[in-house]
Amino acid sequence: MKLLRADLTALGNLLTHRAGRRVLAGAFVGLALLGMLAWWFAQAIFEHPALLAELRRRSGGEEVHGLLGYGLMACPMVATWLGLAQAQRQLFEAPELLLWRLVPGPSWRGPVQVLVRAGFVTACWAGALAGPFVVAILQQRAAPWWAYGLLPVAIVGATTPLLAVFLAVQIVLMRFFAGRWMRLCSAVVGALASVGFSTWLLLSLLTAPHQRARDVEAIASSPQQLPWTVDVGAELLAAAARGELATQALTALCGWLLATFFAFRLVARLHAGALERHLASEPPLLRTKRRWPEALAAVMRKKELAQLLQQPGAIIGFLVFAVLVFALCKQRVLVAGILTNPYLPAEVAQTAALLALWFIAVLLVLYAHMGRLALWDGAQWSLYMSAPAAPFALLRGKLTAVFLFLLWPLLLVGAAGVGIYEVEPGVLPVFGGIAIGGTFAALGVLAAVGTAPLLMRPDTNGQIQPGGRAFFAALGLVLGFELVVAPAMFGWLFLVDHAQRREDGLPAALAQRWTPWVVAAALLYGAVVLALGCLLGRRNYRRLLTPV
Amino acid sequence: MDAPAIATDKLGRDFSGKWAVRDLELAVQPGEIYGFLGQNGAGKTTTLRMLAGLLKPSAGTLRIAGLTHTGNGRALKQVLGFVPDTPPLYDYLTGRQYVALVASLWHVGRQERDERGDALLERLGLGEHADELCKGYSHGTRKKVHIAAVLATAPRVLLLDEPSSGLDPTSVRALKDLLLAESARGTTILLSTHGLELAEQICHRVGILAGGRIATEGTVAELRQRHGDRSLEDVFLQTTGTPHG
Repeated sequence: MKLLRADLTALGNLLTHRAGRRVLAGAFVGLALLGMLAWWFAQAIFEHPALLAELRRRSGGEEVHGLLGYGLMACPMVATWLGLAQAQRQLFEAPELLLWRLVPGPSWRGPVQVLVRAGFVTACWAGALAGPFVVAILQQRAAPWWAYGLLPVAIVGATTPLLAVFLAVQIVLMRFFAGRWMRLCSAVVGALASVGFSTWLLLSLLTAPHQRARDVEAIASSPQQLPWTVDVGAELLAAAARGELATQALTALCGWLLATFFAFRLVARLHAGALERHLASEPPLLRTKRRWPEALAAVMRKKELAQLLQQPGAIIGFLVFAVLVFALCKQRVLVAGILTNPYLPAEVAQTAALLALWFIAVLLVLYAHMGRLALWDGAQWSLYMSAPAAPFALLRGKLTAVFLFLLWPLLLVGAAGVGIYEVEPGVLPVFGGIAIGGTFAALGVLAAVGTAPLLMRPDTNGQIQPGGRAFFAALGLVLGFELVVAPAMFGWLFLVDHAQRREDGLPAALAQRWTPWVVAAALLYGAVVLALGCLLGRRNYRRLLTPV
Repeated sequence: MDAPAIATDKLGRDFSGKWAVRDLELAVQPGEIYGFLGQNGAGKTTTLRMLAGLLKPSAGTLRIAGLTHTGNGRALKQVLGFVPDTPPLYDYLTGRQYVALVASLWHVGRQERDERGDALLERLGLGEHADELCKGYSHGTRKKVHIAAVLATAPRVLLLDEPSSGLDPTSVRALKDLLLAESARGTTILLSTHGLELAEQICHRVGILAGGRIATEGTVAELRQRHGDRSLEDVFLQTTGTPHG
């Protein structure tokens, strides 16, 4: 209880201290946005009585149970993601672990606290993703007030047991098989879980409404296919929506939670040994012994590349990102309509589709790359400040490295275009040319936003700790990137409109004649944005490296 | 003579075939302050972590206050305090809350905990920072908060890893006074340090570790005498085999 009280006090302190409020605000805004999307989606379903009638017919009158089950399906997804990708750090690297091990108490107490913490975070995420949807259904069914009180029970019931299983498996594996390969496997599994969750979230957000309605229909019309913990939660809430308390479901859920706790307690006894072995095992590293260049910008570029290439975990992240991009291409996210546009020649439609996918792919990695400019170098910042080096040389080195990293989404989308869409041979050079122009533009935005003193100013301890500013930095980056690609979007809308006005659509010959000009314009435009971004970045970087 | 408060017998620990500590024989008497000296990587931290029960020995045995870690885990932890080089503070607790938490975990009653905690925080010069979040503390302040927290549990055996690193001279002075007072109350103290001055001033005996073994030990006066009345620094360099020795 003392550890629990300490965590609750720490949580309370977040509200009463400025730094804590910044952390809370950052977390809350993200979750609130997700919650709003879930709420709107539920409202959209209720606006289609035909869909509800179809669900009722196909589920034999059990459509509420099915809909609640659909809503709660977010719970196991979140538990899998956090259990595999995030909780690992808590299990083996949380700073408080040392204290918990020294405490004269039972050896399972520390790991159980990790489960409690991870369970809380999972419940928050699952609550944001599933809560508004479920609440909307309960509201629509005029459920009694106490029905809403059962929602946390259903969410915890659908997340905690699964989370406990993932944590327990990691403890056992680390206890008996710790080593370099085990660490590598953990990194791979963690990265896969992260990408799997991001893909699921993206597909949920970006899938066309009619496609999503089909998913709802599939789950809601056959609720027996739901995972057991989700099904029991849905049953509990469905009964509550009718004004009944399903005691059997509630007992089953509580019993399952208790069993989880006691089973986890048993496994938790292995944690001390697992932690010791984890700390003793060496992290996977690839080292290169090639000599470094002399020019400062080249050294900085090499440093950024080495930081990536010498960490198998980071390389795995790149590979896993490839899986995500291929999944997006396969699902034809955003591009199904473009590819089947009857007014456009196939080459034009395919180029536009690849560019749309490239845009999404770049958007996914842009924030991570922005960190390379200043944010992730917090620990080294004092070194840069004290070095007699030209600020722009440092920035240029980093920007060239990021440019190389940004070629990865371009290559992936191009490969997916050949492999999945079987694009025409002439499409790839055109796509490549325009996308390189776009990459220049993206780099320009990165240079301007990723160095903005307002967002990236080092704290008094000389380090850059963004706190709540990270959210605004991300927002600024996304908005900035969307703004600079807006001319391309308007150009595209104009082209589609123009093609639709012509009876026979856009002639292929006309498109071919204009293609070199479009590529040249994209490259020129990208170069101009990059130059402007670099000018701003140069000024910003100088200010960032000046003591305040 | 009383039974040693800390005793090891051929204690050893290997990491992937490399012995960090080997055949370590150590006996620290109740109330004694024993200083561990040694180069980086000599095995000081590994030894302290084994004594604290954070690392299992690969060979040999150890006893703290007559207890071993096997079977007496909780009883042993109750009498033991450990200050690592990187203190395990909760970022979003205040210093005062952290001291209260640690003391509670060691089953110290509320009144005693608060009185002792406040007095220690004051003594270490943390009074005005005690209600700020630990997240904003400097390394030295974090260390002082953890030292105050551990001392609030009134340990019978205290292990400290580099306690003075990152502390300002005033704090080092306060720390020395605190440790001497604890020792006078009967607390056994084993500390590792690179500060030869600290060792000379407060340690009843020092042991110099080299290659995972105690190369030499005794009072500072004994060590100097054995090496022809040379300074402790010279004794250290000679014992660890560094060129300047």
